[in-house]
Amino acid sequence: MTSKLKKILVLGVVTAGLFPAMTVFGGSNPVHYLKAGLSEEPKTLNIWLASDRWSLSVLSQIYQGLITRHPETLELTPWLAEDLPVYDPETLSYTVTLRDAKWSDGSPLTAQDVAFTANLIKEFKIPRHFDRWSFVKAIEVLDPKTVRFVLETPMAIFLSRTLATPIVSKKEWEPVAQNARNAEKPLTALINHEIKTPVGNGPFSVKEWKEGAYLFMTRNPHFFGSGQKIGGRVMGPFIDGIIFKFFGTSDAAILSLKKGDIDMFWWSVQAGYIEDLQKDPKITLFKNERSAMYYMGFNLRKPPFDDAVLRRAVAILIDKGFIVTRILQGDGARMDSVVPAGNKFYYCPPDTVWGEGLSRQERVKAAWWLLKEAGYSWKTPPVNDAGAVVKGRHIRLPDGTPMEGFTILTPPADYDPLRAMSGTIIQEWLREFGMPASAKPMAFGSLIDQVKVRREFDAFILAYGKLSLDPDWIRSFFHSRHDKVRGLNMSGYHNPEFDRISDESATVMDENQRRERVCRMQKILMRDLPYIPLYTPKMIEAVRNDRFSGWVNTLEGIGNPWSFCVLKPEAP
Amino acid sequence: MELWRYARQRLFQIGIIFFVILTILFILFRIAPGDPVSRMIGPEMTTEDAAHLISQLGLDRPLWVQYVYYVKNFFSGNFGHSFHYGRPVIEVIGDRLPNTMLLFTTSVMISALMGVFLGKIAAWRKGEKTDTVMTLLALVTHTVFLPWMALILIWIFGYRLGWFPINGMISEEVWLNPTSGFFAKSVDVAHHMILPLLTLSLIYFGSYLLIMRSAMLETLKEDYILTARAKGLTEKVIRNKHASPNAALPVVTSVGLSLAFSINGGALTETVFSWPGIGRELVFSVSNNDYPLAQAAFLLISAVVLVSNLVVDILYAYLDPRIRY
Repeated sequence: MTSKLKKILVLGVVTAGLFPAMTVFGGSNPVHYLKAGLSEEPKTLNIWLASDRWSLSVLSQIYQGLITRHPETLELTPWLAEDLPVYDPETLSYTVTLRDAKWSDGSPLTAQDVAFTANLIKEFKIPRHFDRWSFVKAIEVLDPKTVRFVLETPMAIFLSRTLATPIVSKKEWEPVAQNARNAEKPLTALINHEIKTPVGNGPFSVKEWKEGAYLFMTRNPHFFGSGQKIGGRVMGPFIDGIIFKFFGTSDAAILSLKKGDIDMFWWSVQAGYIEDLQKDPKITLFKNERSAMYYMGFNLRKPPFDDAVLRRAVAILIDKGFIVTRILQGDGARMDSVVPAGNKFYYCPPDTVWGEGLSRQERVKAAWWLLKEAGYSWKTPPVNDAGAVVKGRHIRLPDGTPMEGFTILTPPADYDPLRAMSGTIIQEWLREFGMPASAKPMAFGSLIDQVKVRREFDAFILAYGKLSLDPDWIRSFFHSRHDKVRGLNMSGYHNPEFDRISDESATVMDENQRRERVCRMQKILMRDLPYIPLYTPKMIEAVRNDRFSGWVNTLEGIGNPWSFCVLKPEAP
Repeated sequence: MELWRYARQRLFQIGIIFFVILTILFILFRIAPGDPVSRMIGPEMTTEDAAHLISQLGLDRPLWVQYVYYVKNFFSGNFGHSFHYGRPVIEVIGDRLPNTMLLFTTSVMISALMGVFLGKIAAWRKGEKTDTVMTLLALVTHTVFLPWMALILIWIFGYRLGWFPINGMISEEVWLNPTSGFFAKSVDVAHHMILPLLTLSLIYFGSYLLIMRSAMLETLKEDYILTARAKGLTEKVIRNKHASPNAALPVVTSVGLSLAFSINGGALTETVFSWPGIGRELVFSVSNNDYPLAQAAFLLISAVVLVSNLVVDILYAYLDPRIRY
């Protein structure tokens, strides 16, 4: 080796060696910053614009609502509110008393801030929030710590969803709102307001956002929960801050976690990484249930899926257990109702689980019998005269016309391999039965456009990744009122009985009475099957166990405000 | 004077082409499936909310009205606000573009220098083992799938050896440290650049090597090379002073165009290395129907490519006296 080459190599190694030796932040006192990896950079810190998961993750540390959910029981728990408000049926009102709380700039958080937030949403009709406030007739500030909400009509979502709205500072947003009112497009002016270091009321506040690199949050010294016992836990935060780092791929994030560059990866770990991570003694994996629904939807506006009997036959042919075991590799649960089983209060087991406990041959026989009774026929039936299961060919509708080829739209494998693979396997099961099915992966934007806007489709596989624990979304998904362009009733399901019960469920203020109606809605849906719920994948999160402990498991995983409020540094 | 007349003509043509591109981009994004609001709709957003948002974003106006506003805004330098960032798109692009240019222009220069140098040697030693090894290496690295190579390099040098950072452009340890000065921050960026640069250079030097080798082989057949040999010049002088400057002309064209295209970055490279560049934004804006951001980014790329073509043509005439317009 030439001396020149040797010199270059030595210089290279020395330079490389210098970097890991650099001290963190140069201070003498040990600081405990949790480094969390996000799979994308947040797009905005304007709470009224944010719709992406990453912005909302960061914002969940900054803005808090009046109530929240207890991590274990999932019951409503007072958060910024001192107690759960009581409903007065005579005046249709709730009165809320606030805790002693301050904003991150040290100014007091008062009932004026709460009223301002609510009025701002109502005045600007802020998307994603307005629906929760549209039925609130008046917001009255009784004193600096007490606010009264008067409803136009009783609405069950008020407690669980309306009062969970993040509260913003009147001092910060009043001038913004004033400018927006004078703009040609007020809402656009409001949501386009750029905000880099929001004044918040959560456990952490933004110190610096270096775009493209990191977002640095420090402990909010004025956090209302500090030292308080809420939900059976003494609140911190006990760490000095959080540094969010952004990754383009899960591969890089997992390697960074293993290397110790980050302490947690705030994203569900894919199955392929799990075995490797389990071998690492410094990594702990958390597996939690999710409030998610992965489902197959049908277009009920046209044949062949306007026939409930055909949809039931498809449900029998789909082996959800196989999908969970083989495609999800066991990290998920089959769904037999539209409400995920993790939603303990509102989940109701259905009376009939289509195809439950049947082998493949039994499924084919059951589906064949069902369709045969309804008048369907085949050129070659999937069950022959001897009662043996064979490959079915050319199914005909009850009127004798051959079933036309239909497509099952799925997101592409690079977007979600699980849904793409589920589409393919369902296609095969249906083809074996004689149905001319074709799974068609499609770019996600195109798929949404096809299903929601153009409404030209036969069937599709989609998912709701984070459903609210309040089941009011069932009404949005299946009420005939929402069967319109861009509407959430994508299947075009119309059932007057369901509409009536779902409208009742929205206004019943007693939880148990509401649950009874929600259960009836689930049973109707599992009978009519506008959607076939397929599975709920588990939320699998990976953290390092050598720097912090105290993660709080709840539905949707450990990435929740409870965790960040109680997390403690490990002793050195 | 001829050259200036040619440049003026080309600038006029570029203006027309640019206007056509402006229009095509508008049409393309509108006919593409999906719309920005559909992607934002979740269970908590009603159709009334969506309609309100569509109206506030100006997407409920007739297409021709949207087009008129689009052209008018373009000529007044207003590219609009990104639907997702809520910020002027010029700011979003302005934040990302320097990062992309830093990485990709550096990689183009390194790849070109490597390609020219090694291509020259390969041609000079045509048929020898050196030529075979270099040509084979160029072909292999040029055809390797970029993310695969990037991940392998990250795994070896970033994870196993720990020599280089795994992702990003800067370290928070350095940038949040109040004692870090300009030098420390510059070194930090350079440190983060090494792995992406290595990947890009390995992938792209091969094409320059092959271009240079082939041009050099042609040049070596020229009469003036024979004359140089007859004059008794050394082989080194013939190769470096007479043959390679002439053979490098096609590489100049290729580098010019690569530099132009480098502003669109490489979505794959930027994604794998979490490099905060324009390539990732481009993919995000297209897949999320963020029209203002996508349109502005594509217009910028088109403008740079058109102008770079002109610059390369002029540069060619300057470098090669035989070329006259």
